[in-house]
Amino acid sequence: MLRYVIRRLVLWVPTVLLVLLGVYALAFYGAGDPIKLIFLRAPGDVAYNPARIEAIREAAGLNQPFLVQFGNYVLNLVQGNFGNSLVSGRSVWRMISAAAPVSAQLGLLAILLTAVVAIPLGVLAALKQNTALDYAILGSALFLWAIPAYVAGPLLMVLLIVLLPDITVPYGWGGLFDVRIILPLLVLAFQPIALIIRQTRAAVIEVMTEDYVRTARAKGVPELAVALRHILRPVLTPVVTQLGLIMITIVNGAIFVELVFGLPGLGRLTVSALLNNDYPVILAITLIGSFLVMASNLLVDVVYPLLDPRATDARATK
Amino acid sequence: MAQIKGDRLAVTRRTALLMSATALGGMMAMGAGIRPAAAADQVLRVAHPVFDMDWSPLRGGGAHQRWTSLWWAAPMYFDADSKLHPYVFTTWEPSDDDKTWTFTIDEKAVFSDGSPITAADVKGSWELAAMPSTKNQRINQLLAGVVGYDAITGGSGTELEGVVASDDRTVVVTLTASDPIFFMRIANHLAPIVKASEARDDNGEEVTEWWAPDAGGVFSGPFKLVELDIDGGTLAFEPNENFFGPKPKLTRVEIRTVEDAVTATALIKSGEFDAHTELVTSTIIEDLGADFAAGPIIPTSQHFWMDPSKKPFDDPKVRQALILAVDRNGLIKASFPNGPHQKTDQILNSVPGVDEAFEPYPYDPEQAKQLLAESSYGGPERLPKLMMVGISSPANEAAAQFMAEQWRQNLGITAVEMKPQQDGYSGPDQANVQIFRDDVGTRVPDAVNYLWGSIYSGSSNAQNKLGGYKNDEIDALLVEASAKAADDPDRIALAQKAQRLFRDDYCFIPWYQQAMSRWAKTNVKGMEKNLDWQVFHPWNIELV
Repeated sequence: MLRYVIRRLVLWVPTVLLVLLGVYALAFYGAGDPIKLIFLRAPGDVAYNPARIEAIREAAGLNQPFLVQFGNYVLNLVQGNFGNSLVSGRSVWRMISAAAPVSAQLGLLAILLTAVVAIPLGVLAALKQNTALDYAILGSALFLWAIPAYVAGPLLMVLLIVLLPDITVPYGWGGLFDVRIILPLLVLAFQPIALIIRQTRAAVIEVMTEDYVRTARAKGVPELAVALRHILRPVLTPVVTQLGLIMITIVNGAIFVELVFGLPGLGRLTVSALLNNDYPVILAITLIGSFLVMASNLLVDVVYPLLDPRATDARATK
Repeated sequence: MAQIKGDRLAVTRRTALLMSATALGGMMAMGAGIRPAAAADQVLRVAHPVFDMDWSPLRGGGAHQRWTSLWWAAPMYFDADSKLHPYVFTTWEPSDDDKTWTFTIDEKAVFSDGSPITAADVKGSWELAAMPSTKNQRINQLLAGVVGYDAITGGSGTELEGVVASDDRTVVVTLTASDPIFFMRIANHLAPIVKASEARDDNGEEVTEWWAPDAGGVFSGPFKLVELDIDGGTLAFEPNENFFGPKPKLTRVEIRTVEDAVTATALIKSGEFDAHTELVTSTIIEDLGADFAAGPIIPTSQHFWMDPSKKPFDDPKVRQALILAVDRNGLIKASFPNGPHQKTDQILNSVPGVDEAFEPYPYDPEQAKQLLAESSYGGPERLPKLMMVGISSPANEAAAQFMAEQWRQNLGITAVEMKPQQDGYSGPDQANVQIFRDDVGTRVPDAVNYLWGSIYSGSSNAQNKLGGYKNDEIDALLVEASAKAADDPDRIALAQKAQRLFRDDYCFIPWYQQAMSRWAKTNVKGMEKNLDWQVFHPWNIELV
């Protein structure tokens, strides 16, 4: 297993280098010069003097050829230096390390909430298949699935302010145990919950027809035990895989949720960096995002054999 | 709870209802919470529209610059009536040829740590603001005429030779050419006075976040920054007990970032905030009342600039046709039906020298149609696509859509595109953008300075938005006018003549003159702002 993990990590390096090269090229050639943007976007009485702009670009090292800039970036990165923001001059590492914990806490909590809410509801819907309860759960899941975070966030925010004027508006960040986290958390978890409910339900229905379930029932095993021990365990394998992949949905959703609810996480930082074409920050976030996706997939791969021993056997055979 | 019935797991309806009610109740209790009692007295809560991660006072721009007067003192400042007031400088005297200016620092002027503001601090502040790495967006408005400015701003020097600290309280400035209004140029917060020894490193460059409380920031204005969560987008200010001016009435100012205008509006309505840094929506008066957006008209005006170097505007008749095809009364109604901004016909506004005899562009669809037919393009069919940038707010969108519709109805032009950012077009289109929405203005109540930043060939506006526009006659008039004294009637007459010449070149669609809104609720008093976009008496802000 350790060898497998190391091999995955080693494979991640060239992948991320390619991704960084692509992002750097897009920022360099496509989005516009960040220094020029500072001046071009300011209202009209700004001093847009080409000689001065060039001096500022030179001071920031932006007058060098693309490959030299990218090479320097990678060299610095290898030494653990993410560089400084082109806009604020702040250390990118400092910016990331302030924002990442917020997103991480929010994301992990959203996954936890998804697992705690969606798996039981999915099982319940399957056990009560084709009943009113099943339809209600499935209908709600479809409804939630149809509302992306960038719609649900502002809508809930405005509704809350309009309909409940005496309630504190959940804006800003106060940590995991602050009341303001509830609404963004729900918005972030809406779609993953819907997805997992549907997947769990489908998997449970499929497993319920298996011979060993029928055998367990025939032996007189209580239904709750059948559900928990014989049905849920094989169902959990694909569901856990999906939970890992949901990380991408949550990272994407976090951008809108953090903006709407004023959470100082990576999503908000991403938007700010993209708007300013602050590419040291964009690259660092790309790197973190890539690592998160890779790590979550790796985690799934590590957990998978624990849930399904056949996976270990298959890997060993391979 | 769950029961085993036959071969099925059963959940009773009662249990399900109980669970739902518990979950809902828990969520309400945790997620909602009852709103705290009204904010403590004299605490101003401000919503800020940009996630600014840099609050240096030396940037000369950006949304955060709107609050510079809270914590930094300027050399001098103008009030809402453009009356000049002393601040760090108490006196200013020109030489006979207006090339050398002597300024005296207020003997009571001190920083928040109690140390005196010296001439060396003034020199250091200006040098730092002029250096390229500081990225001050408007420093040329202050120092462009100072000896040594070109070298320092070009990156080849770190010292302004033209600024000399002759003693601790006297600053002598030498200019490259006569400038009768130099004293006005420095009367703003574009490069306020900071403690140079704290803000500059050994190489003369700016120390990162030297102004942060953790770094022991020392301030010159009526408030000091006491709390900063730059990654969370929150700041708090409290009175500077060593401030050398009047004692502030507010006990605290809290600024929190709220990027979304709709959310910010809702939060202000719900009482979470008292004020906003800059809230631009078409419905601001309906949403928050006329008083919230009220404010004096300042010498800043918004227009649509046509780049005559780009097709089809290389033909003056096309430019003229497009201008005459727009009903500008309708344009202002479409964008700001209830104010606070006002329609304008010319560039100059709110400065001595507004041209009362200026002939506005008429609304004449028939003539417009005829001009387009007579142009080298022969009509709408052969015109290239028209591209507009700077369409970045609901009001801008409303105006741009209105113009596009007028061109469609009156001229038959259908290919019009709009993008929010100046860099919004990519690829070949980037080089072909013909129409820029942007403002021009002046922080000096002077018509020549206004036009110098708008239509003079060396201005950013002429070079970028007007595609390198250059009218030699206009340039000569403005150069001649700039050497005349501020109160010389010829100065104004020359400026007005230059503006009329620009009118005849048909390069802009005049839109509105800008009100400097209070962006504060009715109970907030003392929020009046000046042509420098600052609350000019921040110590007078109070909640009543």
